[in-house]
Amino acid sequence: MAIGRRLRSAFYTLLILAGILLWLTALLLFSQVAENSDDFARYSNLILLINSIGVAVLVTLIVMNLVRLIRDYRRHVPGTRLKARMVSLLIVLAITPLVIVYIFSVEFINRGIDEWFSVDVEQGLGNALSLSRAALELQRREHLESLTEIAARLDISDPARTVRDLSVLRRASEAFELTVFSSNNQIIATSSEDPAASVPAYPNDEVIFQLRQGRSYLGPDLGRSGEYRVVAAVLLPTERPTGEFTVLRGIFPVEQRISALANEVQASYNQFRELEYLRTGLKYSFTLVLSLVLLISILAAVYGAFFSARRLAVPIQQLMQATRAVARGDFDTKLPIPTSDEIGFLINSFNEMTQRLATARQEARLSQQQVENERHKLEVILARLSTGVLSLEADLKIRTANQAAGAILGVDLESYVGKPLADAARGRPLLGQLAAVCTEYLDRGVSEWREQITLRGEIGRRVLMCACTELPSEGDDPRGYVIVFEDITMLLQAQRDAAWGEVARRLAHEIKNPLTPIQLSAERLRRRYLPSDLDDLEFLNRATHTIIQQVEAMKEMVNAFSQYARAPEVELSRFDLNELIAEVTELYRHQEHQVAIKLVLDRNLPPVEADIGRMRQVMHNLMRNALEAMENQADARVEIATRLVTERGTNTVEIKVSDNGPGFADSIIDQAFDPYVTSKAKGTGLGLAIVKKLVEEHGGQIRLANGGRGGAEISILLPISQGGGELSNDTHHDHKRERA
Amino acid sequence: MALGLAAAGAFAQDDDPGHFEVRSGSVELAANVYFLSARLEYRLSTDARGALESGLPLTIRLEIELLNRRPMWMDTEVASLTQLYQLEYHALTERYIVRNVNSGDQDSFATLFAALNFLGRVDRLPIIDAALLDPERTYDIRIRALLDTEQLPGPLRLLAFWRRDWSLGSEWYRWRLADD
Repeated sequence: MAIGRRLRSAFYTLLILAGILLWLTALLLFSQVAENSDDFARYSNLILLINSIGVAVLVTLIVMNLVRLIRDYRRHVPGTRLKARMVSLLIVLAITPLVIVYIFSVEFINRGIDEWFSVDVEQGLGNALSLSRAALELQRREHLESLTEIAARLDISDPARTVRDLSVLRRASEAFELTVFSSNNQIIATSSEDPAASVPAYPNDEVIFQLRQGRSYLGPDLGRSGEYRVVAAVLLPTERPTGEFTVLRGIFPVEQRISALANEVQASYNQFRELEYLRTGLKYSFTLVLSLVLLISILAAVYGAFFSARRLAVPIQQLMQATRAVARGDFDTKLPIPTSDEIGFLINSFNEMTQRLATARQEARLSQQQVENERHKLEVILARLSTGVLSLEADLKIRTANQAAGAILGVDLESYVGKPLADAARGRPLLGQLAAVCTEYLDRGVSEWREQITLRGEIGRRVLMCACTELPSEGDDPRGYVIVFEDITMLLQAQRDAAWGEVARRLAHEIKNPLTPIQLSAERLRRRYLPSDLDDLEFLNRATHTIIQQVEAMKEMVNAFSQYARAPEVELSRFDLNELIAEVTELYRHQEHQVAIKLVLDRNLPPVEADIGRMRQVMHNLMRNALEAMENQADARVEIATRLVTERGTNTVEIKVSDNGPGFADSIIDQAFDPYVTSKAKGTGLGLAIVKKLVEEHGGQIRLANGGRGGAEISILLPISQGGGELSNDTHHDHKRERA
Repeated sequence: MALGLAAAGAFAQDDDPGHFEVRSGSVELAANVYFLSARLEYRLSTDARGALESGLPLTIRLEIELLNRRPMWMDTEVASLTQLYQLEYHALTERYIVRNVNSGDQDSFATLFAALNFLGRVDRLPIIDAALLDPERTYDIRIRALLDTEQLPGPLRLLAFWRRDWSLGSEWYRWRLADD
């Protein structure tokens, strides 16, 4: 297709060149014709035709171009204004000098031609002509005189003699030819210098007419080769009847020198007159040729203007279209490079630019995608993170919050995105306290801080490790903050548990060591002194008995410590929890002081997988804890309830033990599960600590609160199935989430 | 070109447009040769006369054509003859010279009228040998006279191309070639 276009373009160029060549030739020929060259005579019409065709073709081309330009202009085709401006500029540039040259040329030619024919020259030539005429006239008069003489001497009565006389007389008078004609145009006698000459021509009407009027004829004549001759004719005296006459005509040569000069003068005069006559024609011809040249030049210039404007405008138009395409975001436009000039360079640069833009956009898209991916990953990580992340605008509006943040603070923070933090905190004590701490710091102008915050909520204490940092600002945008917080309540608890375990182990060890010698010493005292009868035997007996008893009690206590510190392996089995609870409580129904025990057991409770011994101990501890708290209370009541709780696809069993005792004092409620925290006169202070430890060993959860009608309320959530590591992990996970 | 036309227009000012006409024509057979005799009227236009008096020779063309007449068909040209006459004004002798270009004969006249009169008389001009003609067929002869602008000098020829005054010529004068 490109080759075809190139061929076509080459063909057009060839055609245009041929046209120009033809036209120039025609013009040249035309000017030749105008310069009076007869060889080109018959071509003049052809040349005019060629020129006319050239004009017609050019006019057609120009009209077509003009129509197209106007149509494009009306349609607001890009680049048309530029093209129109270029066309008009080029036309003005081309036509102005042409017209100036034309006007000057026409003026110059007209004036020049006029000056050739000055009056002086014409006058001079006229005078020369008159002089020549006078010289000829002189000769003619002489010859007429000699002819009159001949006529007087000539006798025509005898034709034979006449011929002879004529011959003699001709030689004497130096005449070229002497002829005697009768009135009926018959030759009577003739004598010629050239005997081979043809029969003399009859005198014409003019001669006869003049002779008839009684005058002699004298006229110049021209020979065949253009030489001058004098023709004279006279009537011969005769005795013929009236109406008839005889004519003597003589042809005399003109002197050679005079003839030549006269010829030259005649030729010059003729040439001058001819030229003068042709002056207007010449002016007209030159003007016509010039006008034609001007017309065709102008038309060619106009067409050339269109042509070159198109050549110039096409790449610019393409460039404009391509620029628009690029502006629309289409970087695939690739322009053909037309030439190796500046426009070519421009287009080349444009192509490079679009290519680079395309590459840059591709890269930007890739990196944006990467960023997006990263962000997505980060979001996933943030969502899965147990650490709460909350980002705020500078005006403390919530920008983002992850799931963990909401869970820790017990608020669905995601629905508050874009709203002020204070709005979200309203009616929510945990978030409210956190917001208060944040606001306090920010009010002080501190944006980078880290603090462990203890929040007090409906269900116990929450310890958060909270860190706030300023977000890097982007330009002049107001800065934001990101608050990262972690619920370390459990961690602290675990640390405390571990510390207590250690304390218990060491204490047990340290206490156990001296106990045995003390017990042994007391027993040896008994063995040694009991058989003897000492006065104070009774005293000794009691004292040693007390020592041994107390040591025994201490050993028990120490063993209990050890148990707390170092638990044996969990032995899992599946059993009915309700049955266990019923069994345990039965033991307490028949004890010394009457306590009303009420069981609210869920019949549909599935069997629970747990260490039955430990669960029994849990129930014992809880029962004992409740009973001890209500030791001297009149209508002591304990209620134990079980139910199945299905939370997030995990089945758990809830055991709730509530009493109507004094409940937990506010001072100890947060540390109720720590060892040695008790409000009772009796008790080791280890009961609830052990319960908590056992529950947590099963992946369960324990909470305590003061009930609505007074009294303590302890609830345990226990997963139904321990189901191996995975389930254990899951439970642990869920547990954590619930805790949060 | 418009300028040229305007100039040409300025040239022609209510002048005599001139007139060429064939008045009569006849053919006679003598010694087996056809001879043409004709009478023509020549009146030069003002432009042509001006050119002549300025020393420019004028050429007058006498065209004679012999046609084979064919019923229901286009006529064919059997023979054609062109006589060229040159008319010139000789300033020195103040005479008009008529020259037969074909034969070289020339004659001079004191007046243009005499010269044109002389030109208008065609006497016994041999045209064709009767033997060359098919006696079975019918022949027509036609003549006309033209002012031959092709012989004019260049600038004038250009003018003559545009101007009616220079396109002088008679209509064809046609008659049947009789055997007699």
